[in-house]
Amino acid sequence: MFVLPYFLFQKFHQLAIDARRASRTRTYVAYAVLAGASAGVMLAAGLALSATLFVYGLWWMSIFTILFMVVRPLATLLIRHVAVPLGWMKVAYYLGAVFASAGKDTLAYGYVVAAWALSRRPSGVGEAWLATQRASRRPLGDAEVAMTALITAGRGDADNARLLMRSTTMMVEVHPAVRELVGEWLAVDAAARGAWRELLRDATDATFPATPLTFFLEGCATRQLGAAGAPGDRELWARWLLAPHRRTTRALRDAACAVATADPSTASTTGYEDVAQPTSLPDAIAAHVALGVDPTLASRTRFASTVTGWDRALDDADTRAWLARRALELEAPLGSADRVIRDVTAMVVDDLVAIADAAKLGAPVATGRLGPVGEALSRRLRHGRLDVLEAAFSRWADRRTNDDLDDKGRQAIDEWREFVALHAAYTTACEAGGLELRRLAFPHAFTTGNHMAAWLWNKREEYAMSHAISRWLLDEALAVGDAEAIELGHRNCALEIPTRLGRIKIG
Amino acid sequence: MTAAGQGKERPIDRIAENPFFVLGARPDATRVELEREAQKLLGMLELGFPEAKTYATPLGPRARTAELVRAAIATLRDPYQRLVAELWARHAPPHLTAATAPDPAAPPTDRRALAMRLRRALGWRP
Repeated sequence: MFVLPYFLFQKFHQLAIDARRASRTRTYVAYAVLAGASAGVMLAAGLALSATLFVYGLWWMSIFTILFMVVRPLATLLIRHVAVPLGWMKVAYYLGAVFASAGKDTLAYGYVVAAWALSRRPSGVGEAWLATQRASRRPLGDAEVAMTALITAGRGDADNARLLMRSTTMMVEVHPAVRELVGEWLAVDAAARGAWRELLRDATDATFPATPLTFFLEGCATRQLGAAGAPGDRELWARWLLAPHRRTTRALRDAACAVATADPSTASTTGYEDVAQPTSLPDAIAAHVALGVDPTLASRTRFASTVTGWDRALDDADTRAWLARRALELEAPLGSADRVIRDVTAMVVDDLVAIADAAKLGAPVATGRLGPVGEALSRRLRHGRLDVLEAAFSRWADRRTNDDLDDKGRQAIDEWREFVALHAAYTTACEAGGLELRRLAFPHAFTTGNHMAAWLWNKREEYAMSHAISRWLLDEALAVGDAEAIELGHRNCALEIPTRLGRIKIG
Repeated sequence: MTAAGQGKERPIDRIAENPFFVLGARPDATRVELEREAQKLLGMLELGFPEAKTYATPLGPRARTAELVRAAIATLRDPYQRLVAELWARHAPPHLTAATAPDPAAPPTDRRALAMRLRRALGWRP
């Protein structure tokens, strides 16, 4: 009487959750309510059956019923509100692996929620246990990366945790329940840092399936930035009511509601500042000093405008004539006027390189002929960053040929960490250096990356990791237009990838 | 005259520690005028005159010391160094944004603590 409707509702509950994961519009709220209602029905059915069994003296069957029909719909709530805050790692693991409906490979979800609980109450024993479990799960997948990220977060290392969390998007293996948690961590992290634009980008690209908390925070980000498609007050309230930790998120809701919904036609699309172009030496000095006050806040536009300003000012005929006349009047050595220009250029370039590095900016794109400052700056930034990348690629290649560790002694996650760090450095350098630096850096990335991908696939049987590297190399090859690399990349990426969720074929 | 701990001189130092600003002299002052000004300032600093202890720059007032005055006059005795100093002193705008980092709405450490509190309240770490 109870069991059949229970399993029907369980199926319905899972369908509602799957539909919610695929949606980011108002239907999300409807699916979330349906999922909640079906969970409520399952809970009531489970309680009624266990009470009936208990009344008829079948107390032992009643215990099983409670475990599998009552705890099941409550598993995710128990994980979030009981096991994780109390740091009960093993309880979280069993709730996630046995009771939560996390689709195929429920162990993966179990380990991730165990790592979540560990991150709230870090312990050496717990970390060792998780590390052992992770090492036994080969090949490496998104769940192993997510649990490592959570352990890292537990140690207080938010930057590396963020990098690892984001790296899961490169993994072809997708555990939706795990990705939801990764997305929520990143959303909370972005909201905590006030990085609304980052959160909006993830929402627009639907990078991760959204939990109710993620969905609410994305709504706040859209409202804060006045972006198109921002939820109205009522929808934001509905999202807030669905999300957990309502007492904490109330302030975020009120702040977002205080921002008027923007008219999409007036919303800024370029994001560029209107910066006056310095033309004289005093203007260039003023622009430079303003830029140097907090280099991390220097924008691309302001930086480019300062460089152009210096080039114009140092090339100015009046400035040069004044220098030549003063050099004569002061009886300075022959060629002093030119030497002053050279020295000032060198000093300005040194300082601009430091500012560009701090703000992760590239050399400004020249619309015409570059002046002495612009040219020297481009050269310095390009070479400096290429040197750093080359050293990083050599270190990466050494890991493959390092004889200190045999293949069995190596942890797959260490290879992934190395790749993620290198990928981040490469991306930052290419964003700053533009397409020119990307073209120069790609051959190093291609040679080393290709060898690593082949080694990981053939010798280490780390298929998802190898595919992630090949996919990255293919994207880069397409960006720089390397025909040979594109062909090889397509061949490598077309291989069927064995994962715990089955064999995956892309394209 | 280099920025502390940096080794390399920056444009901002060329303005903040410009010999003309240190001596409180015009960029077109003669050598004799500069020497006289330096001697006067050294005397005032020796006697502890409060008005000699700071000098005005486009970046705001800076502390003046006897060492700074001696270094400034030595720099201006060299025609090439004087040409460089004149370039910066003559072309520096009268008022520039303060060279010290701006005071943000909340100090970074406070913002970090706030971010940590929010993460923790929402069930995550760090």
